[in-house]
Formats: sequence, structure tokens, C-alpha cells
Amino acid sequence: MTTDNGARILVVDDEPQIIKLLKVTLKAHRFDVLEAATGEQGIYQASISHPDLIVLDLGLPDMSGMDVLKRIREWSRVPVIVLTAKEREADKIEALDGGADDYVTKPFGMGELVARIRVALRHAGNVQQEPVLRFGGLVIDLAQRFVELNGSRVKLTPTEYELLKILASNAGKVITQRQLLQQVWGGHHHESDSHYLRIYIGHLRKKLEEDPTRPKLIETEPGIGYRFLLQEQAE
Amino acid sequence: MGKKAMSVAAIERNGKFMLKSYGWITVGTAALTAVLHAFGFAFDPVNIALLYLFPVLFSAVYWGLAPAIYAAAAGVLAFDYFFVPPFLSFSVEDLRYLLSFGVYLAVAALTASLAARLRRQAQLAKEREAHTAALYTLSRQMTAINDIRVLLENIALRVSATVQAQIVIYLPGERAELERAAWSPGDNGFGEAESTMAIAKWVFEHGRMAGKDTGTLGEFPGLFVPLRTEERTYGVMTVRLEGEGLATDDRNLLEAFGGLAASAIARVKLSEEAKLAHLTAESERIRTALLDSVSHELRTPLATIIGSATGLIDGDGVFSAEDRQELLATIRDGALRMNLLVTNLLGMVKLESGMLALRREWCDAEDIIGVVLSQVKGFQQRRRMTVKMQDPAPYFPGDEVLLEQVLVNIVSNAIKYSPDGEEIVISARTSGSWVRIAVADNGIGINETDRERMFDKFYRGPGAGGTTGTGLGLAICKGIVEAHGGTITASPRAEKGTVVTIALPAGEPEMPQGWKQREEERDDNG
Repeated sequence: MTTDNGARILVVDDEPQIIKLLKVTLKAHRFDVLEAATGEQGIYQASISHPDLIVLDLGLPDMSGMDVLKRIREWSRVPVIVLTAKEREADKIEALDGGADDYVTKPFGMGELVARIRVALRHAGNVQQEPVLRFGGLVIDLAQRFVELNGSRVKLTPTEYELLKILASNAGKVITQRQLLQQVWGGHHHESDSHYLRIYIGHLRKKLEEDPTRPKLIETEPGIGYRFLLQEQAE
Repeated sequence: MGKKAMSVAAIERNGKFMLKSYGWITVGTAALTAVLHAFGFAFDPVNIALLYLFPVLFSAVYWGLAPAIYAAAAGVLAFDYFFVPPFLSFSVEDLRYLLSFGVYLAVAALTASLAARLRRQAQLAKEREAHTAALYTLSRQMTAINDIRVLLENIALRVSATVQAQIVIYLPGERAELERAAWSPGDNGFGEAESTMAIAKWVFEHGRMAGKDTGTLGEFPGLFVPLRTEERTYGVMTVRLEGEGLATDDRNLLEAFGGLAASAIARVKLSEEAKLAHLTAESERIRTALLDSVSHELRTPLATIIGSATGLIDGDGVFSAEDRQELLATIRDGALRMNLLVTNLLGMVKLESGMLALRREWCDAEDIIGVVLSQVKGFQQRRRMTVKMQDPAPYFPGDEVLLEQVLVNIVSNAIKYSPDGEEIVISARTSGSWVRIAVADNGIGINETDRERMFDKFYRGPGAGGTTGTGLGLAICKGIVEAHGGTITASPRAEKGTVVTIALPAGEPEMPQGWKQREEERDDNG
């Protein structure tokens, strides 16, 4: 994780207390912290100081965080992690489908936020994908299209394999149901197809997880989507 | 006049009917004369005169006084012409017969008027009976109706049918101004005319009748009856009267209707007020409970947070690394507890204000329980969580975020009220058209009365004494489960402890046949 050190993080939030907290903690984790108290300032800062990652509060005084995200996404692929209130599932989905890389629900634990930042930074830096993904006993060979669990092959249907591939290549990041549907089924899906998705995830868990009710690989983000857990997250 | 009286009066005015009755009397008298003439001289003339009283009585009873008098006259003439010497002449030989005629006429007039009065009385009795029946029906209907509008419309229709006139009922509206509240069909502007409204207002303010044939505005083509009980006036009923006024009887009836309507309105108003008073008392009770609960539940964690934080700031260097860790953990736990409280409070507000919108999607019980287990991992300590899942896992429509919240609440309770190291069993299965998810603990158990009330807001069982909580969690669970059309119940476990079961409608996932098959066929992965 040493590569993350020194990464420049822009915090866009109107609450001085949150800014202060993030500044102190992120600096302690050796990140470089920039701050912006309004959406306009955030967009401006993002354009002039080229941060490596943006932590964006969705509730800003001057404009909606969603609009800030849209404006930034017009010209930048910089990873964005949004901060939201708990009950706002719809906001989270909108932000994630609108280009945010991940979300953290307020109130959040610092460990959680730092973990999300690290994952997002890693995925942003990692343009070239490894042909073989390894997660503990699970091996996914993207070149040969096979999956091994604790040394033995696991038989997956094409759809299950596609799902696993997308989740695992984004390990640590949340993937919304819509993103999964779009990537696996292409343009031919309906919102109502999300229950097929659930069935497939159920099948995958049955084939890969020791105990499907205590998943260690594919975690459900209720109402949002799924997250392939990095091994440190599963502990 | 009542409906029947009106119709009889109308018939009496009907010339055809009158002619008919006079015709029948003429024919009858002629027939009687013919019979008497055939046998006539066997009778004494006095008896003959008496026999001529029959048509008189008959007419009096069936047609009233005027036909009876006509019958008497016809009788006298026939008697004189055919039976009094000289026969076949109206002249009278024996002047004593004139006295007989006089007596006959007097007797005829007297009996006729008596019979007619009897008939009228019978008719009145019938009318009264009809009025009483109308009042009775109305009063019976009114006790069954609890909506003022429906009630008034009912009254307007019935009164209108009874007095054969248009009815408009006024009630004070929101700004205490009289408004048309109900009316019988065919109100063509009468009820809304300025003059009508003005009189109605006067009647409402003074609580006295006005309009047609009353001391106030006697010439106005309408009668205004206040709807009043002993204490106050609730509104005004107006009868539109184009032609003649109402008979005293009908006015009395109208007043009776007015009184009935007033007491019905009073009854509805009182029950509304009582309901409101009950609600106010209830919300007062809940507010007090909320304040108690919230102030206690907020202050306790706040005290630990402030205490620990100030301790750490002021006593820097005094604490060992372990002490510091402990104080920091206290701060975290206090804050988490406050977070739970705020979440529950917001949840309750959402539920109560009807802002809770379900996002129904197909849920996988296994998936939901998995999320719940990871949520409670932080505070289950050494309690063992066992999952008994039906294979395949139940699959049903629901809001997974809210249902997860429900289960987290129930499982947290199970953890809270059972000793460390015990087992908590979570099971999910489909039975019939229901999906049942049950959480069983080996805890202190709940007695029967509490099992009913534990899902009430702010209710905390006697066993809850030492543990923390707001008494909101299970109330929210109940609200969410019921919003799904399901039920939540608690029952004792065979040995010890409690089982909380939520039952949710299973629904039918519209899984196309062959969809799965196709998928298996494409299975070409190693």
C-alpha cells in the first residue's frame, strides 16, 4: 500500500468538523489533503490541483453533490468517493451509476473510509489488468477462463463466470445491480431482471462460499449492489 | 299536510271523482226508491224515511260531508215525490210531513257530519302514523351514520320526500360562515340566493323559525327551521314553498326532523371531539414517553463520550496505552449507540408520517440473513449464530434494506436479552403462501402480556430493566413488516427463551420456464 502514500485527496464538504476530522486522519495516513467547502470550489480545485481522489459530500449548500460529480466527470476520470446519509439508497445508486467509484455512509468509521480510498486509488492506478486474480484459495484465470477453489476447478455457467469476473476485477469496490446487469447482459436487460441477478449471486455463493449465509467473497450491499471483498475486508 | 293527506285533498279536488260520487249517490238513491216503490206500501212511511238514511251514512263514510248532504237532499226529494201523498208530486198534503222532513234532514246532517269527522280522524291517525314512521326510520338511520355529509343528505332526501318540497340544509363552514351542506335534488339556485342565505343566517343566529307563515318574513317563499338541541344551534334547514304554506302538522313534523337532525349532528360532533381528545391524550402520553426515553438514551452515551474525551484531553500522559484504548472504545460505543437511537427515531418518524416508501424487489432470504449476520458481528460477543435455511432459500418480494433493518433489530434484541455464549437460531422457510423468518433465543423469555405489548411504541418489558433501549426498535419492525402485508409475533420457546417470527407474503417470482434451462445448456465453462 505504500504506493498510496502521498496521494493527493480533495475533500469537498461544507461541515468544518468533518473537514477537520478528515484532514487530521488522512494526513496521519500520509495522504495530502486539499479542502473545498462548496460545490463550485470543489469543481475549481479539482480542475487546478489535479487531486488523485475526491471525497465528495452529496449534501452541499450551493449545489447538489450529484451535479458536482457530473461536472467533474465531464472531463476527469479521477476516483470519487461520495459521503451520504444512511437512508438515501436512491442517492447512492444515482451517484454510483453517475460515475462515483464508491460510497461511505455517514456516520462512518475512519478505517472504512481509508480502506475505500485505498481500493479506489489502486483501481485507478491499475490500468493494466493481471491475467490471473488470486484471493486466498480462489484463483480466477481470466486468460484461460477457469476458476479454481482450493486447488480444484469450479464449474460455472457463462453468466456466473461473467459476474464473478466483473466483481473480482473490481475487488473491494461496490458494483451496483445496474452496472452488473449492463455488463453481463448488455443492453437487453430490464430493471426487473435484478432478481435473476440475485439468483446467480446465490448460485455463485453456493459454489464458492464455505457458508453462503456468511459470505467471505461476495458481500451484499442492501439495496445497492455487491462488493467482492478483499481478504482484509472479509476478516 | 302529509303526503297522504295531500294526495287525498288532490283527489277531492278532482272533479271526475266528485262527479262519480254524486253519480253513485243518484243511482243508489234511485235504485233504493225503485225497490221501496215495489214493496213500498208494505212499510210504514217512517221506516221508509229511515231507510233513506243509508245512502247518507254510506256517502259520509266514503266521500265526506258534501256528498252526504247531497244524498240527504236526494233522499228527501225521492221520499216526498214517491211516498208522501199526493204521490208523484213534490207538494205535501199533510203538513206534519214537513216536520218529518226536518227531522230526517237533521238526523242525516248530524250522522253525516259525525261519520265525516270519523273518517277525517282516521285519516289524520294514518298521517300521524306515517309521520311517526318517517321520523322513526330517519332516527334509526341517523344512529348508524357517522359522516355528517352523508347524514345530512339523507335527511334532506327524506324530508323532501315527506313534505313534497325542496330542502336545503346549511351548516357553518370553516370560517363559521353558513354554507350549503346538503340539499335535495333539483335545487335551482334557491339555496344559494342571497336572500335565502341571509335569512338562514338570521335563523342560525337567533335559533328561531322564519319565513312562510311565521312571525318573521312571513311572505318569503320558504320556511327556515333551526337545527337545534337545547344547548346550541347546529345549522338551518330550509323548505322551499312556492304556493301555499305548510299545515300545522307538517310544520311540527319539520320541527321534529330539525330536532332529530340537530341531535344527530351533535352526536357525530361529540364522537369526533371525543376521538380528538383521546388522540390528544395519547399523543401527550407518547410525547412524554419519547422525551423520557430520548433524554435518557441520549444523555447516557453523551455522558460517556464527553467524560472519556475530556479525560483524554485533560489527563494527557496520565493514562496508560491500554486505558487510552479503553476510553476511546467507550467513546466509539457511545456514539454508535446514539447513532442507533437517531436511526430508530428517524425510522419511527418516517413510519408515522407515512413517508416510508417500500422499494419492493425480489429478496433472497439467504442474502438478507447474510447481511444481518455481518451487521451484528460487532456486538454478538460469544453468542453462537446458527442459520437454518430451507434449500433453496425462500425468495420473496420485499424491501431488502428495510427487512434487513427489521432483522438486525430482532437479532440485536435476541443478543441483548440472552446470556453470552448461548445459541441464537435464525431460520427461514416457505410455508404455503408465507415466508417465515424466525429468530429464537435462549434468553430470559417474555411473559404473555408483554408478548402482546412488546411491539408497541416505547414499551419496555419489566425484564428490560438493566438493558439499554428506547422501546422503538420493535415498534419500527412491526410497522415495516405490516407495510409489507406481513405479521410479526413473539412466542415462548419450548425450553426457555423467545421466538420472534416474521411472516411475509411469498408472492410468485415470474421466472420464465426454460430460462434456466437455456442457461444450463450454454454451460461450457471448465
